[in-house]
Amino acid sequence: MARIARAGIRFVILSVAGIVLVAVFIVVKSYSRARPSQPIEYNHKVHIENAGLNCLDCHVHAGDNVAATFPSLEVCRNCHNAEPVSKSAEELKVLKYVAEQKEIPWNQVYQVPDHVYFSHRRHVTVGKLECSVCHGDMKQQTAPVSVPYLAVTMDNCIKCHRERKITNDCLACHR
Amino acid sequence: MPKWAMVFDLDKCTGCGACMAACKMENNVAIVDPEEAQAGRALFWMDMINAHEGEYPTVAIKRMPKPCFHCDNPPCTKVCPVRATYLNEDGLVAQIYHRCIGCRYCMAACPFTAKVFNWWDPRWLEGATTCFNPDVSLRMAGVVEKCSFCAHRLHHVNEVARVDDRALQDGEFMPACAENCPADAIYFGDLENKDSQVYKLSRSYRVSRVMEDLGVEPKVYYLARRTA
Repeated sequence: MARIARAGIRFVILSVAGIVLVAVFIVVKSYSRARPSQPIEYNHKVHIENAGLNCLDCHVHAGDNVAATFPSLEVCRNCHNAEPVSKSAEELKVLKYVAEQKEIPWNQVYQVPDHVYFSHRRHVTVGKLECSVCHGDMKQQTAPVSVPYLAVTMDNCIKCHRERKITNDCLACHR
Repeated sequence: MPKWAMVFDLDKCTGCGACMAACKMENNVAIVDPEEAQAGRALFWMDMINAHEGEYPTVAIKRMPKPCFHCDNPPCTKVCPVRATYLNEDGLVAQIYHRCIGCRYCMAACPFTAKVFNWWDPRWLEGATTCFNPDVSLRMAGVVEKCSFCAHRLHHVNEVARVDDRALQDGEFMPACAENCPADAIYFGDLENKDSQVYKLSRSYRVSRVMEDLGVEPKVYYLARRTA
């Protein structure tokens, strides 16, 4: 009887340990996927407030294309060439990329799944939406965002479409 | 609301199959193994129906391209238990792959066998993975797919027209098959637009539709002097 009870306890402990291990694995996995890091600790606040840049100055295709695109090195070079303009250690990294003529490998934070058609042009130019509706107030961001301000979920899309009386036809977004 | 329709001029069609090839390329339609194709599992959004008439040496070959007919009264959408296929307000019969559960009721309901089923995950030819059309998603095993009248192109032209603040022009929205037909035998346009070429052709004396007596109101018209 005692042997059966001991076996039972061992089974419970082992299965609990197994569940905990799996849970930890899933959490770590989702955490690492949800939080892409950036090659440079980019400070949106400084660029918008001190340098007076607008979103479209760097994300040049947000108004006229499907993808808003990351700034190319060409865009950075307009201000950051040869001499540093600040005392930031991060700027030296930019200057290094500029000197080496290597594009900065930015990581995408907002990812739309393959079966969804999302176009910035349709939202920014046709729909006349402010960038902050989905991306939050970037004027306050001193570090790169690692989590989307508005989670890329169908619930969020549909909610906004309903509020603004935009079509919720599946084919309008799904492809 | 527009009502998109297609017209095939069979008197002009040479049966070359360029529409089929263009469709496959445009819509990332998977190519299946020859054995699978023999078993009736070939994937075609634009199919070609072949028929022979007469005996050697006076054989006449009839070839008839067949996309999805995007019926106005579609039987397939009525049997879908999850609304993965439905008639949208542009008159397109949509197929939403991520909603499809693969029951294949719609395939059974379609009188024109326009729908195909992905029996396996697609196996792409070497190098094909680098030249997909990014505007069309890749389908996985277990979903039904079919001709969409290149609905992704409609997205694009609609967007461009709205940026320019104008209405869509006749001929601006063209599916890949119509665009690539070397004989210009495929016409595409809006039936609601009385000035469109498709509207005029749809009232031609040569016009006929497949299985018209079913009452499903297909929006694909065939022009032919000869009787089918």
